[in-house]
Amino acid sequence: MYICNMSNSKLYKGSLNTIILKLLNEHDKMYGYEITQKVKVLTKGELNITEGALYPALHKLEAEGLLDVELAKVDNRLRKYYKLTETGTKETISKLNELAEYIKTMQKLVNPKLV
Amino acid sequence: MKLTKEEIKYIENYLIKNEVKFWDVRLELLDHIVSAIEDKIDNEGISFNEALLDVHHGFGNRIHNGYTYDLDFEKALHIDNKGFKKFTLKAQKEMGRQHRKRFWKTFPKYLMSFRFFIEILIVIGVVYNVHQQSPKTSAIIALIVCFVPEISKVFFGVFDRSNRRSLKMQMAVNLSSLYVCMSYLSMGIFNSYYEDAANKPYVYLTVTFVCLFPFARHGLATYKQIFKENQKEYKLMCS
Repeated sequence: MYICNMSNSKLYKGSLNTIILKLLNEHDKMYGYEITQKVKVLTKGELNITEGALYPALHKLEAEGLLDVELAKVDNRLRKYYKLTETGTKETISKLNELAEYIKTMQKLVNPKLV
Repeated sequence: MKLTKEEIKYIENYLIKNEVKFWDVRLELLDHIVSAIEDKIDNEGISFNEALLDVHHGFGNRIHNGYTYDLDFEKALHIDNKGFKKFTLKAQKEMGRQHRKRFWKTFPKYLMSFRFFIEILIVIGVVYNVHQQSPKTSAIIALIVCFVPEISKVFFGVFDRSNRRSLKMQMAVNLSSLYVCMSYLSMGIFNSYYEDAANKPYVYLTVTFVCLFPFARHGLATYKQIFKENQKEYKLMCS
């Protein structure tokens, strides 16, 4: 699913939707390529989302009503911008809480002294 | 560095050659590929051909045939399109889900609308009155009523350019035709079940068709809505 420089990309598979929602929550609207580049920059090249993984996830979130699409003409071609819907904004908060809980639980298991 | 019009046209033709036949799928792929190539040329200092091959591979397409790794550019670009096929299939699945969701979300509101109220009153009134005279004719009328939304689609874009090779519209047609197919299917079941009966209970068939009418009618309303959106997108693309 990902081309990932980190040792186990499977660990990141379940977080793709949360990553997309979080990025869109911080930006008004983003297009597909912009999302891949933003993830690359934020993780300093450690996490690289492939096109084959990104677009199915975006389409799925759109079908679920969490994302809305806006088309705009850019350099003589159409660009599809994705933005969060109201439900999407609520879902982002819940997904981020879920992820934080997961990290906390894992921390308890992996490194109990730190918790 | 911005790509030239010729280079963008080349990419569009490359997508068509790789069987990305729907224009609404192609527009997203085209923008991604052009953005990625421009970025790769600027930041990695590679050529247009190398960048295109890189992006082609990124979508999950092979760029070699398993035993020859140094294929020339054109061959490598068209040797495999499984990544694009998978992309289209997934987009198709999600598009269908999106349409279905829209259909059920708007269905209760549609049932409560004044227009639908008048339509269903007329249908029930006509079918009931005809049923008093001839149950068979009444069933036929109810079947025709179920087919009217399907026929009406001809006036809503069957010949429109935006409808051709559009994944969004293909899935909208599938959704709106589903209930017409169900009425046809129930007629088949009825005929095979009561094949030898002297007096066929046409009332069952009539009731089934009348019950399917709201779904078929709302299918047309959803189709029209999607058609208008799609037409707007197509006009924007052609402008």
